[in-house]
Amino acid sequence: MVMLRRKLFREIKSNRGVYLACIIVIMIGLITYTSYSIIIENLERAQDHFYAETQFADGFIKLNGYPESQVAKLASLAGIDKVEGRIVKDARLWEEDAESSRYLRLISMNFSQQPEVNRVQLFSGQWPEDDKREILVDPKFMAANSLALGDTLTLILEGKRSSFNVVGTAQSPEFIYAMRTAQELYPDPSTFGIAYIPQRSLKALAKESGQVNDIVFTLEPEARFEDVKLLLERSLKPYGVQSIFPRGDQTSHAVLESELSSLRSMAQTLPLVFLAVAAIILYTMLRRLIEQQRMNIGNLKAFGFTNREIILHYLSYPLLIGGIGGILGGLAGIALTFPLMTIYEEFFALPGMASSFSWKYLFLGLALSLSFSLLSGLKSSLDILRLNPADAMRPAAPASAGKTPFENLTWLWSRLSSQGQMGVRNAFRSPMRSIFTVVGMAVIFSLMTVSWSMDNMIDKLTTFQFRQIQTYDVKISLNRPGPANSLQNTLAHEPGITHLEPLLEVPVTLRNQWHEKEVIVLGLNHGSTLYNVLNKEGEQVPIPQDGVLLSERLANLLQVQVGDAIQVESPLQRQFHAEKKGQLVVRGVIPQYVGLNAFMEIGALADFLQQGEIATSVLIQMDGQAIPALKSKYRDASQVGNIESVQESADKIEEMMASYGFTVYFMALIAGFAGFALIYNSSIISLSERQRELASLRVLGLTSKEVLKVITSEQWLLTLFGVILGIPLSYGLLAAMGQSMSTDLYSIPTEIPLVALLGAVGGTALSVWIAQNRTYVKIKAMSFVEILATKE
Amino acid sequence: MAILLEGKEIRKVYQTGEIEVEVLKGLNFQIMTGEFIVILGQSGSGKTTLLNIVGGMSPPTSGELYYQDQPLHELDDKGLTLYRRNAVGFVFQHYNLMPNLTAAENVKLAAEIAEDPLPVEEVLHDVGLAAWADHFPSQLSGGQQQRVAIARAIVKNPALLLCDEPTGALDIETGIQVLKALLKLNQEYQKTIILITHNSEISKMAHRVFYLKDGRLDRIQVNEHPLPPEELQW
Repeated sequence: MVMLRRKLFREIKSNRGVYLACIIVIMIGLITYTSYSIIIENLERAQDHFYAETQFADGFIKLNGYPESQVAKLASLAGIDKVEGRIVKDARLWEEDAESSRYLRLISMNFSQQPEVNRVQLFSGQWPEDDKREILVDPKFMAANSLALGDTLTLILEGKRSSFNVVGTAQSPEFIYAMRTAQELYPDPSTFGIAYIPQRSLKALAKESGQVNDIVFTLEPEARFEDVKLLLERSLKPYGVQSIFPRGDQTSHAVLESELSSLRSMAQTLPLVFLAVAAIILYTMLRRLIEQQRMNIGNLKAFGFTNREIILHYLSYPLLIGGIGGILGGLAGIALTFPLMTIYEEFFALPGMASSFSWKYLFLGLALSLSFSLLSGLKSSLDILRLNPADAMRPAAPASAGKTPFENLTWLWSRLSSQGQMGVRNAFRSPMRSIFTVVGMAVIFSLMTVSWSMDNMIDKLTTFQFRQIQTYDVKISLNRPGPANSLQNTLAHEPGITHLEPLLEVPVTLRNQWHEKEVIVLGLNHGSTLYNVLNKEGEQVPIPQDGVLLSERLANLLQVQVGDAIQVESPLQRQFHAEKKGQLVVRGVIPQYVGLNAFMEIGALADFLQQGEIATSVLIQMDGQAIPALKSKYRDASQVGNIESVQESADKIEEMMASYGFTVYFMALIAGFAGFALIYNSSIISLSERQRELASLRVLGLTSKEVLKVITSEQWLLTLFGVILGIPLSYGLLAAMGQSMSTDLYSIPTEIPLVALLGAVGGTALSVWIAQNRTYVKIKAMSFVEILATKE
Repeated sequence: MAILLEGKEIRKVYQTGEIEVEVLKGLNFQIMTGEFIVILGQSGSGKTTLLNIVGGMSPPTSGELYYQDQPLHELDDKGLTLYRRNAVGFVFQHYNLMPNLTAAENVKLAAEIAEDPLPVEEVLHDVGLAAWADHFPSQLSGGQQQRVAIARAIVKNPALLLCDEPTGALDIETGIQVLKALLKLNQEYQKTIILITHNSEISKMAHRVFYLKDGRLDRIQVNEHPLPPEELQW
């Protein structure tokens, strides 16, 4: 069938604009599919492999101190397989006259025999010797600080300096995504890294003789974490347990998992959205083509072409477009994984993440694209079967012409120009095509809305968090919970400080029936001005004198509402109250985008814990100029654990998030392109379908612009319906994203700001307008005399 | 001469909702190999319906139709397709050429499905369009386009050529060119030609003329001395 193939190619060539647009939409779908799928597969493979190789723990225990000699005995608890005790300490790097603070988290290890849980993988150099001052450092910290093997690092631990020789680089499964605190949102290897240090050296330095403060364990295959946790809580009660949490709550793992799950949901939805838009385009285009070539089809049938030959010919349009889009999109998607993987390598220190060419996803992507294309072509092509050759030779009976429902709105109808009336009628005359266009536009509109809402999300996670909620400038964390009065008094006399507030952060387990969640309760001053609890409108919510405020996501997880009572249990609760679990009433539910917390008045929280006046940090409002002096004066004070300047973190995070802005607008851009393709296709169809009608209008003396209005009024009407349908769709999409992407680290805001809706309306309208401009060019070039002279 | 086509009591009824329209009311006829038949009749007399049935485009409602003793009325869709493919060539009033294929390519399109096609160049030469082979339909006049359509119909080397008002859209001069091409096929290649028209002048070139009136074969007129197309006038 060489001639039919030639016919196919020439027809595609003469309408290349539409077909090209369609190929690009398919490509976008395929790029998202192959690149996300390959990245997911690579990450999962690397994760599984690394976790298995290093025996990554299933459970984590943080406590004040536990006898090292007793650790092995924990393995005898039912459900625990292997167990390992370590000392974990953050230490600051000592630098001569340097302002910035760099920290290393020291993990004690026994290097003579690899631990049974949470091993490390040696990347370069050699293992430290147990009795020497040698350490392993994570490779990202090394690279970010231009360190080399053999360098000496001086650390400040418990107020004392000690030097270590870097003998190797190593990676642990615990710190694939290494953040100092969960509030940081992203790792900064230039200021924070991990170091592995011989057990004996750290024991000597940390004065934790015979004690460990961190235990990790693996579970036996059938064991449930919750059961094991109950046993552990009982056995560890006297040792000041701060938290016992499963792998799922471990920061690095949780971030990696949340990235994977958001990638998965992207890989499942985005390709479908774009392929569906492409399918709509192909379907309407092919349907029109077949209607238009009805006589040709009759002719082919008269010659003796079989139905199969004719159907295959018309199916070859979508299959060719789907095939080209599929292969190009698949290849582009695979190519894209290489730069994307290097971005992932920036954030995740996961060995074995390399990308490679994937025949599997090229093939799967092609199959996906071809099935969508085939599906879009099948319905229209099968109509050919029903066409009797003798009937096909006659022009189709004209579509019924009656009043459209729109015309009943006489007030509105009479105000439309005649071109407008023609356009509206046309929209109602081919209802299936119109419905498809409306659905397509709704999807495109909601993609744009979500893209713009991302901007809001980024703002909520950064600027809003740092400028409206955490209004303090500096936070000084104490080594241990305790009275902060003396420190506050001392600080009050420091230059530049204008306001001070204590903050009490308490790990708690909140329970409502079988719903349970471990979080940090923040104890704040009643009239706190340095940490503001705000409602959705950004207005201050007063901290109640009793009871607790919960973040929205936490309230959902616990299934509680305002007025409900929840069980609260904390390791900081005094012993004599241990068996009597406390209850607190939920006084309010507030939005929280960064972190997952409960909030209480600091005095009420201390009372609840049966503790005196205690705090864990001091929040400070002060002159920015005086911060460096304050830092250098207090950072090595014995009571002080950490000094964090909000401004520094805010700057870093905002800078980092700014690069996300590009991604956001890129999404909007490709959605806009899909909108363009959809409308351009519809224009081309309208043009070819009604060229005689339009040519007659031109002959009557209408200008090209006026003729264009016949087509555009139809499109604006459909776009309007698309936007109306798109608004609830956007809310649904965002709610689904919020559900799947929110973690304990951050929650995705599910409200759509007005500016996002307006932006999406503007973006959608722009893509329609551009498509119409292309159409205008076609109308201007239309040779109307020739059209009217040719036979129908 | 052998009988090529034989129709017995051919009826065709169209059902439009509740209303039945009997378009052909029992036709009996025989057509010999190599004959040039013109079917004359006014609009609505059933000419095109008869041509479609004879061409295997739609089955009769009742009656029997034989092509070289093969019962066409018993064939299913597939059998009819094969019949059209191998035995019949169609020429329509509106040439129905594929607009984005050249003259030669339009002819090749038909040649590709034939069992024993004639050489494309030769057929184009026979209809006088050898020089126009690489032109697209839009670059050809109506008469030239119709001759491409004829070339396309005969390239499959069918025994039967069915022409539905082939000159209906043409002026007299180009019409005569087209008729000359048809006559040449009839005389040189012994193709059986059935041509329907409402133009009685054309009937003068036929061996026999079937007069169709209100769905019945009114009468058959035999021309002892068919006129060459050049002598026709309308």
